[in-house]
Amino acid sequence: MTRETAASRPAPGRLRLPKVPAVLEDELPGGLRVLAVRRSAVPLVQVRLAFAVAGSHISKSAGPSVLAESMLAGTDRRDRGELAKAVQRLGGHLGASRREDSFVMSASVLAENLRELLELLVEVLRGASYPQEEVRADRERLANETLIALSQPDVVAGEALRRRLYPRHPYAAGLPRPASLHRVSGATLRSLHREILDPAAGQLLLLGDLEPRRAVSMAGDVLAPWLDRAKKPAPSLLPLPAIAPGPIEIVPRDGSVQSNVRLGGPAPTRSDPQWPATALASLIFGGLFASRLVENLRERHGYTYSPRSAVRHGRAGSSLLVEADVATEATASALLETRYELGRIALGGVTEGELEAARRYAIGSFTFMTATQSGLAETLSALSIAGLPPGYLKSYPASLAKTTRAEVETAARRYLAPTALATVVVGDPTAIGAQLSTIGEVAISAGLSTR
Amino acid sequence: MTARRSDLRAIERFTLHNGLRVIVAPDHSSPLVGVAVIYDVGFRSEPKGRSGFAHLFEHLMFQGSANVAKIEHIGLVQSAGGVVNGHTLPDLTAYYEALPSGELELALFLEADRMATLALTEENLANQVAVVKEEIKVNVLNKPYGGFPWITLPALAFKTYPNAHNGYGDFAHLEGATLGDAADFRARYYSPGNAVLVVCGDCDPDDVARLAERHFGAIAGQPAPPHGPYGEGLPKTELRRVIDDPLIPQPAFALGYRCPDPLHQLEDYAAYAVLANVLSDGDASRLRQRLVYRDRSVTDVGCILGSFGSDTFFMRDPVLFQIVVFHPGTASADEIVAAIDSELESLAGTGPEPDELARVAAGLAAGHWSSIDSVLERTLDLGSVEVIHGRAELVAELPQRLSAIQPEAVASAAAGLLNQHRALLELRPEVVR
Repeated sequence: MTRETAASRPAPGRLRLPKVPAVLEDELPGGLRVLAVRRSAVPLVQVRLAFAVAGSHISKSAGPSVLAESMLAGTDRRDRGELAKAVQRLGGHLGASRREDSFVMSASVLAENLRELLELLVEVLRGASYPQEEVRADRERLANETLIALSQPDVVAGEALRRRLYPRHPYAAGLPRPASLHRVSGATLRSLHREILDPAAGQLLLLGDLEPRRAVSMAGDVLAPWLDRAKKPAPSLLPLPAIAPGPIEIVPRDGSVQSNVRLGGPAPTRSDPQWPATALASLIFGGLFASRLVENLRERHGYTYSPRSAVRHGRAGSSLLVEADVATEATASALLETRYELGRIALGGVTEGELEAARRYAIGSFTFMTATQSGLAETLSALSIAGLPPGYLKSYPASLAKTTRAEVETAARRYLAPTALATVVVGDPTAIGAQLSTIGEVAISAGLSTR
Repeated sequence: MTARRSDLRAIERFTLHNGLRVIVAPDHSSPLVGVAVIYDVGFRSEPKGRSGFAHLFEHLMFQGSANVAKIEHIGLVQSAGGVVNGHTLPDLTAYYEALPSGELELALFLEADRMATLALTEENLANQVAVVKEEIKVNVLNKPYGGFPWITLPALAFKTYPNAHNGYGDFAHLEGATLGDAADFRARYYSPGNAVLVVCGDCDPDDVARLAERHFGAIAGQPAPPHGPYGEGLPKTELRRVIDDPLIPQPAFALGYRCPDPLHQLEDYAAYAVLANVLSDGDASRLRQRLVYRDRSVTDVGCILGSFGSDTFFMRDPVLFQIVVFHPGTASADEIVAAIDSELESLAGTGPEPDELARVAAGLAAGHWSSIDSVLERTLDLGSVEVIHGRAELVAELPQRLSAIQPEAVASAAAGLLNQHRALLELRPEVVR
């Protein structure tokens, strides 16, 4: 039943590298680095004010988590409701969030209202008041949200894998638990605010429908009262520890109708010359839809809906992650097939066809990620907090375009070898314990505390 | 080089001989192009005993066609540097690609090939039934709060099969699906006359016309099948259900209300969309101020008009206005509902303040710009609105039409919620602490 087509399958076009926007880099008094980018397809501006945080604020994450909730709970000039109204009136959004190893204030606004939004930002930076009653309600609400998050099996799996990947490192901590959230007071937050929201550790990004020089000078004007502080070096982090792959760790979740299989190990950082080749190896293994892992686990066996591999980058280092949520009865089979595909790519290499597909996808998806204001703002802000220059927007796709098959195979041997990865499985221990012990040593862990 | 994306009104449209409607929205601000084929079929059209079939069929559309092997569709788009996926909603099923603009023809070729010559085998059907069952386990069965409220609330609020049944499908129905079912479903709903092709972004309308004709022109046409009407009478009494869920750590509930017909009473319906923003968009909104920050009785509250929130203007009547609440149980659901009612009464009585509507309008304008900044969202918005409303132009008009809604209209929307029998679905943790 071949169709009469006027044209057969179109030939692929020429590989095109993304057009890179001009990024203005400057430094405001007080050591605050600032980047400004014109991206004017829609009349909005994105603002990101990101701070690298110290290891102690990552391992003890309760304080920074409540800080993000309560920062907008009121200032010396208005209460939470009035502040929210002022932001909304500008066609704006303003929020704060604790990320893995940074603290980020994010805003977007109709372009004509940028100055007013920056004024509100400064009002919060200088005058957030952390009223005790509000803080008490915020930490209680956050504790409730945390209980809900910790009931999700994928969150449990992520937390368990952290403990395996980052022993004795702040990254092991993950989500704060309710008991520690309940101890955070208004006084703690006022002192954390001074410590974390330090211009010397900050990176400001202004991106959108703006003129970069003028926007930087406006930011300098408006932020001046906050910037008047002594400069000091940004906090540094210990590098990630080496890991011992160890046994298959079962994290018990009784009655689970699926198992969340997670493998993880080290990966090169974005400034490592092996990074582009590792990114491509991961795509060929499990990042593309037409990857080996998806083809095997999903399309051949029907064990799972969405198996995947990816690399997670932090300031302290990077990690390769392999994830699949699989049918309980097929847990060991799915892990066995995953290890088989890991071993196959580590030993047997990749084809030119696979490499070309991954290369084009990597460049194309980077192009899409940076094609919207918010996507480009998130990308640039994350790069700058990791100490990477804006030139990465150009150098990364260019290195992807040049990476050779030999380089990808070297990266696969080192980072995708099954012996390089730790394994955690969240599931019903009575249903999966025996299956899994037929393919490897198994240890049943105590499960996660939600206290 | 920094063209503004304000020209969504400059939409070109034409119809091929076989009935395929084509919408072209050129915009050269980035070298990317979005392509979508949206079929006028969704959960509400699937046959009885075959719940979940529309979504299962979406999976089957990636299993190969005459000139494309199983899952090769996705591989070809990704290896051209593009992104690709599909989704199924109550009233439509969307298939889409976004690519570097030089690869436009690849997407048209792939979409046309599966529209003309989908190739199905027993093996691929069985494989995708297994994959869909795992998808349902990830998102519903193994997930605390999974399927709440999009599956569980319509099951309470509606009585007739098209509106009330589970769009993900019962496992028994999925397992019973046959190749014959797929052939029937395809013959009925997957013809060019029942679809819209959208091409958006860095493209030239003349090229699109030529390429659309080349790839889709030879596909046989047939009249589009009827859909609906799905309207059903209003409940005669309040509908209540409690589900005990051992997986969840804290209680939650959802309220479901009927609202005006989005097609035939668009202005009235739009007032409900504004009401949803007044009630729960941002920390200044009425319900967040009252329940989260003043009473401190809830962890989170949100309003959804439509099934998922993003589909407010992609649905036919009847549509639910949903208020969704997660709470720690320090107050009962009835106490929290009473507080919601008092906020609705206040809005119904005196209406929103002028400043309140101006703030909501600014937020709607910013939200509009933000969503059309992405070529893929723009493509899907245009195509989905075209399928349901027959006017893709509505996407560009919506921010203004929403900001023109008067306080009285929002007040009567609030009164509309109060003056009806609602559905109240509660989720309760099995062990109440």
